Amino acid sequence: MRKHSSFSKAVFMGTIIFLSLPLLVLVIYSFNESKSGSWTGFSLRWYVKLFTASPQLWRAFANSAIVAISSAFVSTVIGTLGAIAFNWYRFPTRSYLRLLSFMPMVLPEIIIGVSLLVFFAGVGIQLSLFTVFVAHVSFNLPFVFLLVLARLEDFDFSIVEAARDLGATSRQALFRVILPISTPGIVSGFLTAITLSLEDFVITFFVTGPGATTLPLYVYSAIRFGVSPVINALSVVMILGTIVLTWSTRNFLKHIAAK
Amino acid sequence: MKKALFVIIMAILVMGLASCGSPKQKLYLFNWIYYIPDDVISDFTKETGIKVIVDTYSSNEEMYSKITAGGAGFDIVVPTGDHVSIMIDDGLLEPLDMTRLPGFKNLDPSAINRIKFDPGNKYSVPFMMASAGIAVNKKKVVNYEHSYNIFERQDLKGRMTMLDDMREVLGAALDYLGYSVNETDPAKLEEARLVVERWKPNLVKFDAESFAKGFASGEFWVVQCYAENVFLEYPESRWDEVDFFFPKEGTPMYIDNFCILKGAKNLDESYQFIDYMLRPDIAARVADYLMLPSPNIPARALMQVRPSYEFEALDNSTLKENLGRETLKLYNDIWRRIRVGS
Repeated sequence: MRKHSSFSKAVFMGTIIFLSLPLLVLVIYSFNESKSGSWTGFSLRWYVKLFTASPQLWRAFANSAIVAISSAFVSTVIGTLGAIAFNWYRFPTRSYLRLLSFMPMVLPEIIIGVSLLVFFAGVGIQLSLFTVFVAHVSFNLPFVFLLVLARLEDFDFSIVEAARDLGATSRQALFRVILPISTPGIVSGFLTAITLSLEDFVITFFVTGPGATTLPLYVYSAIRFGVSPVINALSVVMILGTIVLTWSTRNFLKHIAAK
Repeated sequence: MKKALFVIIMAILVMGLASCGSPKQKLYLFNWIYYIPDDVISDFTKETGIKVIVDTYSSNEEMYSKITAGGAGFDIVVPTGDHVSIMIDDGLLEPLDMTRLPGFKNLDPSAINRIKFDPGNKYSVPFMMASAGIAVNKKKVVNYEHSYNIFERQDLKGRMTMLDDMREVLGAALDYLGYSVNETDPAKLEEARLVVERWKPNLVKFDAESFAKGFASGEFWVVQCYAENVFLEYPESRWDEVDFFFPKEGTPMYIDNFCILKGAKNLDESYQFIDYMLRPDIAARVADYLMLPSPNIPARALMQVRPSYEFEALDNSTLKENLGRETLKLYNDIWRRIRVGS
């Protein structure tokens, strides 16, 4: 094996430090006793406050979780089926459809947000958690669609033909051949959708209604009074959660690949 | 494994949907963030069984755009005075039935009499009133007057901030010149602009979000601010280092008010909630939490925390009024020139 040059090592280390230093500072300050930026002593009071006296924050968190999981689930189902159909059939508007599917990815979020708001107001749908869910499905869809499509375009289509030759119905071919093959694409589409949904601020800001404040919106309105250390504590809990989730999905993906 | 995952997802979906349709009494409150302590809200739910769903905003403009953009569905909002009159003009507010708010008599008449944005309180019930002032770090700055002229001092250059708020900054300059904070004369406003331009080189920035952190860490020594922001951030053991004062020239004051939105679905619950907030023991808890003097007279005796200043300190303040469309445009133009520079 070729030895890595000291330059590339330095760049690597620099990047790692650059990426993780802010997180480290955040973790440290979540244990700070005082509210301000100066260190005054170790304390768990912000964690106590987080778990015992922050009902609004947890409601915002619950809203985020509900929207993230449900919108990721729905957009994964629609996006996967769409990608399979797109890959399978040839039809005249195909190239336009592909272009159209890029739109939500390249359009500035603020335009999507405003247009959704105008749409909901025009149709007369009251803004609520449901409208947030609809908005998130709409911007998650193209990501799932393209991830699954990329996976499908990679594999040898003659496998499906072989399955059909050997007597599989089109439904069997779908469930026994196509879906298992595209599972890694589906899983990564689902996870991408969850991530995008959890962190979205701009679009959510426009389409949220009473009782539908999500975590990013809550944190934003809180910064006017200085970022509360409770938010730091929550961030640490979320970082730990993400690490556990990443680790378990890695094992899950390995498990699939090994099959 | 896959089945389990599917079941979990479905369970969460069903739970999410189920929570939308419970028959319990509800109230949708759209409020400033950190304005009412969580336990005051949860005690209301304990007493009445009414579930309060709170959403928060951090500026009047944010609230106003949400309401006008079809974000109806809220019952109670808490606009500042000038926005109350804007919302009355827009027909967004429900006229109040005062017989259902017996706690209104607790409010200080001297405060009520100053209200011009809603004469006779047909649409709004004052909640809290306060004014921006100046906080000085006494350890760093020794000789100074209780006046806006502190922003002229070049020796404090790079150690001062003012709020990122058009009405507060221009209001300060207008007060400094001896004009009204609701001035409409373009010539006088131009004078005020020149005053702010003179202050500007000495300021680090116009900031309404993170200045309190900088003040607490000793980076900024003089900040135009709301008292509660600074004291929430400053370590309690060192509060005696902070001098919070209202400049002798006067300050622009605000009143935040409870209003019921037109078309609110939970009218009874809204009245119950507003009257609950007018109760002396509850008003005292809120004032303790914010460390502000209460406009609720019987509540003052029940307070356990000494407020950052006495209620009478606001006597020299002038209430910010709705400027009207034309003048507001003028203010916006001046503010933009100050911020962008031209």
